[in-house]
Amino acid sequence: MSIEKYTRNFLKEVEERVEEGHWVKMCMQCGVCAGSCPLGAHWEHTPQKIFMMIRAGKREEVLSSDSMWMCTSCYQCIVRCPRKLPITHIMHGLAYLAKREGLAPKNQPTAQFGQLFWDNLIKTGRVNELKLSLGMYFKDGFSQGIKNAMAMQSVGMGMMKAKRLNPMEIMGGHGVKDKSGFQAMLKKARELEDGRRKLA
Amino acid sequence: MTEVVATNQTILVVGGGISGMTAALEAAECGKEVVLIEKNPALGGRVSQLYRYFPKLCHPTCGLEINQRRVKQNKRIRVLTMAEVTSITGSPGDYTASVKIAPRFVNENCTACGDCGDAAETMVDDAFNYNLGKVKAAFLPSRMAYPQRYVVDPSVIGTPEADKIKAACKYDAVDLAMQEETVQVKAGAVVWATGWKPYDANKIQPYGYDRFANVITSVEFERLSDPHGPTGGKILRPSDGKEARNVAFIQCAGSRDENHLRHCSRICCMASLKQTNYMREAFGDEGKSTIYYIDIRAIDRFEDFYQKVQADPNVKFIKSKVARILEDKDGNPVLHGVDTEGYHRYATPHDLVVLAVGMEPSVSAANIPAEIVSDSSGFIEQDQANGAIFGAGCAANPLDVNRSVQSATASALRAIQVINRVARAEG
Amino acid sequence: MADMKVAAYICQGCGLGERLDTAGLAKVAQKEGKAAVVKEHPFLCNAEGVAMIRNDIDNEAVTHVMVAACSRRAKTEAFGFTDVAVSRANLREGVIWVRPDDEASRETTQEMAADYVRMGCAEVKKMKLPAGNAATATNRRVLVVGGGISGMTAALEASKAGYQVVLVEKGAALGGWAAKLYKRSPSRSPYADPQDTGVDEMIAAISADSNIKVYTNSITSKTEGAPGRFKVDISQESGATVTEEVGSIIQATGFTLYDANKLPELGYGKSANVVDQGGLEALAKAANGGPIKRPSDGGEVKSVVFVQCAGQRDETGTHLPYCSGSCCLTSVKQAMYFKDNNPDIDTVVVYTDLRMPGNGEDFYRSGQNKGVTFTKGKVSSVEATGNTCKVNFQDLILNEQTAIENADLVVLATGQVANSGVDVDAKLKAEIAAAAGDSTLLDAYNASQAEGAVKPISVLNLTYRQGPDVPQLKYGFTDSHFICFPYETRRTGIYSAGPVRRPMDIVQATEDATGAAMKAIQAVENAAVGRAAHPRSGDLSYPIVRIEGCTQCKRCTVECPFGAIDEDEKRYPVFNESRCRRCGTCMGACPVRVISFENYSVDTVGSQLKAVDVPDEFSEKPRILILACENDAYPALDMAAMNREVYSAWVRVIPVRCLGSVNTIWITDALNSGYDGVMMLGCKHGDDYQCHFVKGSELASYRMSKVGDTLQGMGLEPERVQVFEAAITDIERLPKLINEYSDQIAALPPSPFKGF
Repeated sequence: MSIEKYTRNFLKEVEERVEEGHWVKMCMQCGVCAGSCPLGAHWEHTPQKIFMMIRAGKREEVLSSDSMWMCTSCYQCIVRCPRKLPITHIMHGLAYLAKREGLAPKNQPTAQFGQLFWDNLIKTGRVNELKLSLGMYFKDGFSQGIKNAMAMQSVGMGMMKAKRLNPMEIMGGHGVKDKSGFQAMLKKARELEDGRRKLA
Repeated sequence: MTEVVATNQTILVVGGGISGMTAALEAAECGKEVVLIEKNPALGGRVSQLYRYFPKLCHPTCGLEINQRRVKQNKRIRVLTMAEVTSITGSPGDYTASVKIAPRFVNENCTACGDCGDAAETMVDDAFNYNLGKVKAAFLPSRMAYPQRYVVDPSVIGTPEADKIKAACKYDAVDLAMQEETVQVKAGAVVWATGWKPYDANKIQPYGYDRFANVITSVEFERLSDPHGPTGGKILRPSDGKEARNVAFIQCAGSRDENHLRHCSRICCMASLKQTNYMREAFGDEGKSTIYYIDIRAIDRFEDFYQKVQADPNVKFIKSKVARILEDKDGNPVLHGVDTEGYHRYATPHDLVVLAVGMEPSVSAANIPAEIVSDSSGFIEQDQANGAIFGAGCAANPLDVNRSVQSATASALRAIQVINRVARAEG
Repeated sequence: MADMKVAAYICQGCGLGERLDTAGLAKVAQKEGKAAVVKEHPFLCNAEGVAMIRNDIDNEAVTHVMVAACSRRAKTEAFGFTDVAVSRANLREGVIWVRPDDEASRETTQEMAADYVRMGCAEVKKMKLPAGNAATATNRRVLVVGGGISGMTAALEASKAGYQVVLVEKGAALGGWAAKLYKRSPSRSPYADPQDTGVDEMIAAISADSNIKVYTNSITSKTEGAPGRFKVDISQESGATVTEEVGSIIQATGFTLYDANKLPELGYGKSANVVDQGGLEALAKAANGGPIKRPSDGGEVKSVVFVQCAGQRDETGTHLPYCSGSCCLTSVKQAMYFKDNNPDIDTVVVYTDLRMPGNGEDFYRSGQNKGVTFTKGKVSSVEATGNTCKVNFQDLILNEQTAIENADLVVLATGQVANSGVDVDAKLKAEIAAAAGDSTLLDAYNASQAEGAVKPISVLNLTYRQGPDVPQLKYGFTDSHFICFPYETRRTGIYSAGPVRRPMDIVQATEDATGAAMKAIQAVENAAVGRAAHPRSGDLSYPIVRIEGCTQCKRCTVECPFGAIDEDEKRYPVFNESRCRRCGTCMGACPVRVISFENYSVDTVGSQLKAVDVPDEFSEKPRILILACENDAYPALDMAAMNREVYSAWVRVIPVRCLGSVNTIWITDALNSGYDGVMMLGCKHGDDYQCHFVKGSELASYRMSKVGDTLQGMGLEPERVQVFEAAITDIERLPKLINEYSDQIAALPPSPFKGF
């Protein structure tokens, strides 16, 4: 979709399709969010800049930005925003839209982790931590996986000792009682959300 | 006992700053009787604590002198200092205000000779200098103080020092038995001109005003820059007395912020631009200023002043609301944030940070002892429902001096309209 | 003055009794001061001391009182007798507080005090209690010129106070600029939506008000007189002229939008779809709440761009250098016209600083909430093609050159130009600039005066000697230069209100107009009793001229900062008391010294300086006269005294109303009497002048620059007479300055005129 610059098209899309997206128009470009983010130095665009880009109609650039994926939900930006924008929520909402639109950056570690986590969770309704960890280690190939596992060895051992990680989980692990009910619930939720946010 | 002659043709002006003085004078110079109430021991208000005015860089005491002379020679104005209005009853053309007068412990015999001050030993906070310095417990509020009469601080009352202070006065001016009193003042109309106060910077948590000695407010910076302030006009930072040659000015400290003040305080941009001139005055090319701002609101002819400051290579402008301040090992405040023009992250140490704190009403409309319609920030709105109680100056809106005086002049007319109606009705 | 009886009172309080020989001073008052009554008192300002003086006035027929105590600025309640002439000898702040309390200084300190007693006695004898020239100017009606929001507000507010008003409007109907608006920006909480202009209600209120007489299609073609007695010719379009008599004038002639034709790069004139803010109001009015139509083809506007600061805040010198302070509000309001009709319309405001102070922040938020897009950027050009426009700009946040491609409409926020009439100082300003090497202003002025040139049209058509309109401060606005005193312009009883004085929005204009109405009714009340207006408010003295001595040199008429003096057909000065601010600049200017005030004259000061006992040339006691501005320098000296700053015992200080009132005869008299030097302390002049009488201190330094010839003629060194700028804050600087000057003078040989 090509968007004419500084028209409402993309802003309107964000307002409709992104959680708390209707707040984007309220930003006054003070930049306090940008300076408040503890991970700020590590991403491409600051939140306030993302908001300006939305108003400027830069759909591709916004949705392919890595910025939303770097949010750790510390809420510093929300606390300080003089316009009370729920920035954290907007950033997550944008990330979700980007993902659904297939524009999220490839090989972005947070995005990858998110996908792994989700895939892991929906299988049984419980997070299988061992599989999740291994999945993370080996996402970049076998030899890199071994290296990662070795580097994290002491942490893993510690977790096992503290009974926070069960090696037996490799066999399949625990899950919720009514797995199919759980999955049906997720499906329905997704349907509702997709309908509401026009994500079909 | 203080005696006040007032009728329902008297105008009661509450607040003796530049707005209140103006309203009182304009009305009195039009032939009206005025009672002027001031909470502090002297007239002049907040402007008398400024070093210079923007954009002329002239001195507020210059206008204060004229206003004081107008008050001194005008027999229609009765001034009550250390006084506060505690209630207003009645209706337009027929109000009665209760005025609580705190004891000054010095009567009108005082000649301001200073003997009591010499006798006093205890040092108390100097409110005139925003408590950045101390004064003797028997003090003249400032050199320009009118009434030109000393005050004995209540903290020494009942001590042997008070007796010593009393004994030092040859003119029987020290009266230690003075009590708080309440007088009733009749008035046909009221001008409420209680002005503004700086927003409490402690509430702006990320800036660390409560934690870092070298983070101060713009009103404190005025006193530091004033040759008659606590540092003799040397811009020294509080932590170690080092000259502050590299100063950051943070705009919208409290203002334009729904976590603090919803409104724009109007004056702060110009005040900071003005204060960069203090830096130049103190240090020449060695004085560096950086202004962190959202929008520079230098409206009308003030734009000239802005352009002049912009042309100064020693002043930098960064479009950014500073995110937070940390302190380095040398006690330098380090400002963290992002310059939003483009995208430039900074972590910049300065010698001193000046928070351009916003204005809030000194007495919020909710605390005025009468039914008053106000805006969401507590400033008085013009409304029929307020009867003959009229807001003036910064009690009505965040205004600069010039606009405060215009507002005060307008409010004097509104009061006169009521008084003249009363006069006509009474023949 | 057969019944003059002078009484001298010498206070012994505040250390005067200990530091000075007050009995000696009493003797001086009696013998040299020729006071009929001389009394010392241990505490003169207390109730008993004051009662003593009161009793002498009431029962001993004392008519002239000399109080030798503290500064004239102190204890004003105690010594503020209004029924006798009073002079003050400043022995406390002027003598003992600025002199060391030691044996070595005792003699010179006493001499200082004795001189001030002599001076006080000499002065008071030359003073008369001002009676006030009442009943010459008693008209209490107010003329309001301009029938826009400001003018209508001023008229209604003055009327509400019980005053009659004459309201003159050039156009066919009242309403001015506001009548052209679809709606106005909000004036009340919650500051969220445009509101009705209220113009119709105001017009209805005015027509229902029997106090207000309205002339439409009319101009003020001639204005003569002074506060309390103006005669104004009102010329109507029909050709008829009526004369109205009024007491004061409010000029509320508003503004004109800056001509957008000067901005071709922004597409104005090239496409009908580029309009200024006025143009947009017209479109909105036509739409009346419905869709706003594109001028080029009547198509509905789907996207609109607002270009802020168009031709404003211009640093190149081509367009307006200032900010109009109201256009941001207006653009947000206008964007709402679109959004309130259809939220899907694209409305972009391109700004560099969004300037919406005070509650404007709420309105900004409301605009955002309605979906107006704000972009910090600088527009470089607008290209018009067919029915759409392309707005090229630098996005300052995204840091890129970009464009909005298909705008149906572009609105240029062009700003306010004051309708202030003729710049009466244009020639003078141009000449000053030319003298400084910049002849552009002078060229422009000469071009404007050439035959066939379009000359600016006067608004008030004053018959004043100094020109037909109110002087302008900067950029054509008539604003006052005084921060503390916004209504103090240079024409007494004529007040500016609204955008003619400063670019502003309606909220401010309303407040300003109400304030101006206050000043206008005050002016007529003052004129009626002969009282001065600010800054010598309440002063009943006024200039008295001994016209038979006048040489028609016109210096007073030219130099009066307030245009108070006209010339008659024989070129004699005609003083208009109610225009006068009592600064005494005319008195200072007059070479033949025929101008004086009852309580302030060439004599009151001259006799003081001559009363000083000048020691002979062998005494090694130089004498230096200081003439200090009473508004700033004198209070600074008082405060220096409160700090116990020490300065030379050689100086004798005389406060003057303004340095502009200093007549050069005082200088020559002083030098002829054997003074070794004369020092003048006055306020800052120049662009940021601080002189309370605008031009006084500037004129003084100009006059004194010519004193050199006189000094040369007398065979005296030029440094014997010097003018210094002094501010009220110069509390430490002035004593230093005095001491340096005093040392400089002491190093010169004694004046050869001593003992003559």
